[in-house]
Amino acid sequence: MIHKLSTPDQWLHLYGDILYRYSLSRVRDQNIAEDLVQETFLAALKAKENYAGQSSEQTWLIGILKHKIIDYFRKTSRENTQEYEEILTANDQDDYFNPQGSWQIDLSSWSKPDKSIEQEQFLTTLQDCISRLPPKMAQLFILRELEDITSEEICEVMAISTLNNFWVMLSRVRVQLRHCLDINWVNQ
Amino acid sequence: MLTCKEASYLASKKLDKNLSFRENLDFKLHTLMCCFCRRYASEISSLHTLLQKVRASNSSTLPKSVKLSQKSRHKIKQAIDEAVSASD
Repeated sequence: MIHKLSTPDQWLHLYGDILYRYSLSRVRDQNIAEDLVQETFLAALKAKENYAGQSSEQTWLIGILKHKIIDYFRKTSRENTQEYEEILTANDQDDYFNPQGSWQIDLSSWSKPDKSIEQEQFLTTLQDCISRLPPKMAQLFILRELEDITSEEICEVMAISTLNNFWVMLSRVRVQLRHCLDINWVNQ
Repeated sequence: MLTCKEASYLASKKLDKNLSFRENLDFKLHTLMCCFCRRYASEISSLHTLLQKVRASNSSTLPKSVKLSQKSRHKIKQAIDEAVSASD
């Protein structure tokens, strides 16, 4: 199936909100999310001759936005790299494990959401828990879970020195997130 | 025998790549005996599965009620219009 492009003045109406939600859920800053949407439309305008119609217009635009988001992460990752050191060396004083390496939090049962309305509420809680993470840890988790990008590429984008450090940080993020969800997600 | 902390690391790494034979064996032995780590591993795995669905659908974790503000909509429209008329 070959898709046709609608005219650029329709883009904002058709895809503005979809692209904005996509962008905001990744970069978590309204102004930056809006800027990236605008940049996406402008880049699409320049590239529209090359649009081959293989994918839908929406998929094509999201593809452009994905690149913009990763470029943004790459640009900001060179700032505050001490955050990594802090996370990696915080190993000894841990809120979640005792010195013997056993759990010291209550792993009470956490029912997973299945119905779609619950899922929406669950994702809202998740978004809230993600925003409580240190900024780079949030970015790392978002890239890992929401973008089609390999772990090696994430290390490059986020200026993480080794894959091992990446897994250590990702593991800590998951412990924190699960704990936050456990406390804040009440399944009615 | 792994500690829970080490097992939680492997439970997370497992979602990213295949564990080595040794890692896998250690992890299985630990979770066979530790109900907390078993629960932990299954919870982070269902979170991962849910987010993979969000990823596959190219959508976001935000509800549909989240929209561009009128102000930014206006600003973006202007930028598009300018770029279109510049290219004409």
